[in-house]
Amino acid sequence: MSEPILSVSDLAVEFDTYGGTVQAVRGVSFDVAPGKTLAIVGESGCGKSVTVQSIMGLIPIPPGRITAGTAMMNGVNIIGRKTVNGEDIRGGQIGMIFQDPMTSLNPTMNIGNQIAETLIVHRGYSKRKAFNRAIELLDLTKIPEPEKRAKQYPFEFSGGMLQRAMIAMAIACEPQVLIADEPTTALDVTIQAQILDLLADLQRETNMAIILITHDLGVVARMADEVLVMYAGQMVEHGGVDDIFYNSGHPYTMGLRAAMPTNQPGIDARLTPIDGSPPDLFHPPAGCGYCARCPHAMQICVDNPPPTYTLGERHETRCWLHHPDNNTQVEGINKAVGSSP
Amino acid sequence: MLKYAFKRIVQGLITVWFIATATFFAMHAVPGDPLSGDKALSDKTRANLEAKYGLDKPLMTQYGIYLANIAKGDFGISFTQENRKVNDIIREHFPVSATLGILAILFAGAGGILWGALTALYRNRLPDTIIMFLVILGISVPSFVVAAIGQLSLVNINDLAGVSLLPIGGWGTVWHMIVPSMVLGLGTMAYLTRLMRSSMLEIISSDFVRTAKAKGVPPTQIFTRHQLRNAILPVITVLGPSIAGITTGGFVVEIIFAIPGLGRYFVQAVQQLDYTVIMGTTVFFGAFLVFMVILVDIIYGYVDPRVRLE
Ligand SMILES: Nc1ncnc2c1ncn2[C@@H]1O[C@H](COP(=O)(O)OP(=O)(O)O)[C@@H](O)[C@H]1O
Ligand code: SF4
Ligand SMILES: [Mg+2]
Repeated sequence: MSEPILSVSDLAVEFDTYGGTVQAVRGVSFDVAPGKTLAIVGESGCGKSVTVQSIMGLIPIPPGRITAGTAMMNGVNIIGRKTVNGEDIRGGQIGMIFQDPMTSLNPTMNIGNQIAETLIVHRGYSKRKAFNRAIELLDLTKIPEPEKRAKQYPFEFSGGMLQRAMIAMAIACEPQVLIADEPTTALDVTIQAQILDLLADLQRETNMAIILITHDLGVVARMADEVLVMYAGQMVEHGGVDDIFYNSGHPYTMGLRAAMPTNQPGIDARLTPIDGSPPDLFHPPAGCGYCARCPHAMQICVDNPPPTYTLGERHETRCWLHHPDNNTQVEGINKAVGSSP
Repeated sequence: MLKYAFKRIVQGLITVWFIATATFFAMHAVPGDPLSGDKALSDKTRANLEAKYGLDKPLMTQYGIYLANIAKGDFGISFTQENRKVNDIIREHFPVSATLGILAILFAGAGGILWGALTALYRNRLPDTIIMFLVILGISVPSFVVAAIGQLSLVNINDLAGVSLLPIGGWGTVWHMIVPSMVLGLGTMAYLTRLMRSSMLEIISSDFVRTAKAKGVPPTQIFTRHQLRNAILPVITVLGPSIAGITTGGFVVEIIFAIPGLGRYFVQAVQQLDYTVIMGTTVFFGAFLVFMVILVDIIYGYVDPRVRLE
């Protein structure tokens, strides 16, 4: 693995709400290298969006609060509002696209100007030059008749076309990192595949790193090099895409896989949803966040948070099953070779 | 867009015709007529006068003549003011009312957008609380009370200063216009502030504003290019009807501040059942309002591409 372009460590984010303080993200670390794709997966509400939005400085403060953590990019910590704006990171070195393209574009500004705006802000282009570049970018993202399209408004675009325009906007300044927060969730299946192909093509051409948030393991299998599995605001497993699919070390990852449709013949095709729901993040459990739903939970899981065990090179998990003193072998879970609590 | 404007103008003409017709029949349905004033007239004089003004003709004939005259832009001669043409009354006094009304709506619109945006940006903090309290006051206090209080404060301020800083009534210079137009626009401003605030709050947390932040657009530019432009749309929609409200309020303000606008003539004419003046002023005002509403709609189309391009 080459040098990471972005490394996040120990990120923790809280929100003050009427019901109390929500601990949305509780110590998440990961990194991503140029040309690679990191997928972040997990049930809705587990803190995926909050994680990446903190990096982008998009957390509303208040009610939000980043209580700990750093995100190092090119030797600078980009966490914290001022640096993010001041260092020209947002929109310049990191581009971001969102889940719902229909609402993510300004309804009263034409598409070309919305793309051009990024170039005017970060590159100091003239209006004319930026608009011409916007047309090229629309062409690059395979939008037919880009000159005409650039002058149109979001309501004249379909969802898939809008997401292409969003991508054009996000890559306008040739960012080193592209963050895609569920970029295909709101789109038709056929359109989904096209958008994913487009992202993969662009990555090959520009060697940018991609952080792809999804709850669709099919998308993970198709796109990711590495996977970060999150549960209740924490990392539960992190590893290469093969580690996660064939060599997983965490009961939650196993559960996600069992809940995923498969088209391999011979494999039991029944889907097994994970019973229960994620814990209350107002009062996160003292021990393992998953213990209320975990079929292998032990007393220690209830009382103490599991440490991180290394299962292989760039493969780690947080689960007591990997403690060296644990002799129960759980089917499908590979025990850690060494532990590093 | 051109087609749209044309369609709106045709609709507007139909509206004006409707106003004219409704006023005509409503007016004739009221007991009495312009000749039943304080002076008792002999039957002969009355018959002569009726013949002179065409009041002896059947109602539908009168209606026909009246419509034909309106189409020519002729509103006839006042019944109560000797030989005064209604057109002259309008020409002389309407500009005053229009100036007052337009200043008031500008004041209300600019103030509403400004205060609304400000309260949204400072939501739930002190500036928001204070302004919103004043807004509730502004909405609930009727305009004649505001007018009276406005004038009273003016008297007191002039007293305190020892010189006449601003005139307390009359018309003529810019200084005469300031307080009456503020008084007239106040209620509308309060209403628009509330509207702008809620619209702005919705926009602030919208996805496309988040996108603009993710693009690294500086906050001031996000405010002007992304938030304001979109938040203003609902405000523009209600500007048309607001103009109507301001016009009616204007009659009261004109009387309190002794402003020689059309309002005074209108009220007088209604009291004396001066048919031609009532008709003339109503139809003219109606046409003016309809025109303003169309203008506002066209401006809306300019601001919102979804309307413009349909
Ligand atoms: N603005 C906010 N105010 C309060 N709570 C929030 C806010 N944004 C997110 N949260 C909370 O943070 C948690 C994680 O949310 P999110 O990161 O959006 O989940 P997801 O993994 O589905 O993207 C959720 O429990 C959510 O309720
Ligand atoms: S730590 Fe315990 S409860 Fe948590 S996943 Fe592992 S076995 Fe299950
Ligand atoms: Mg999300």
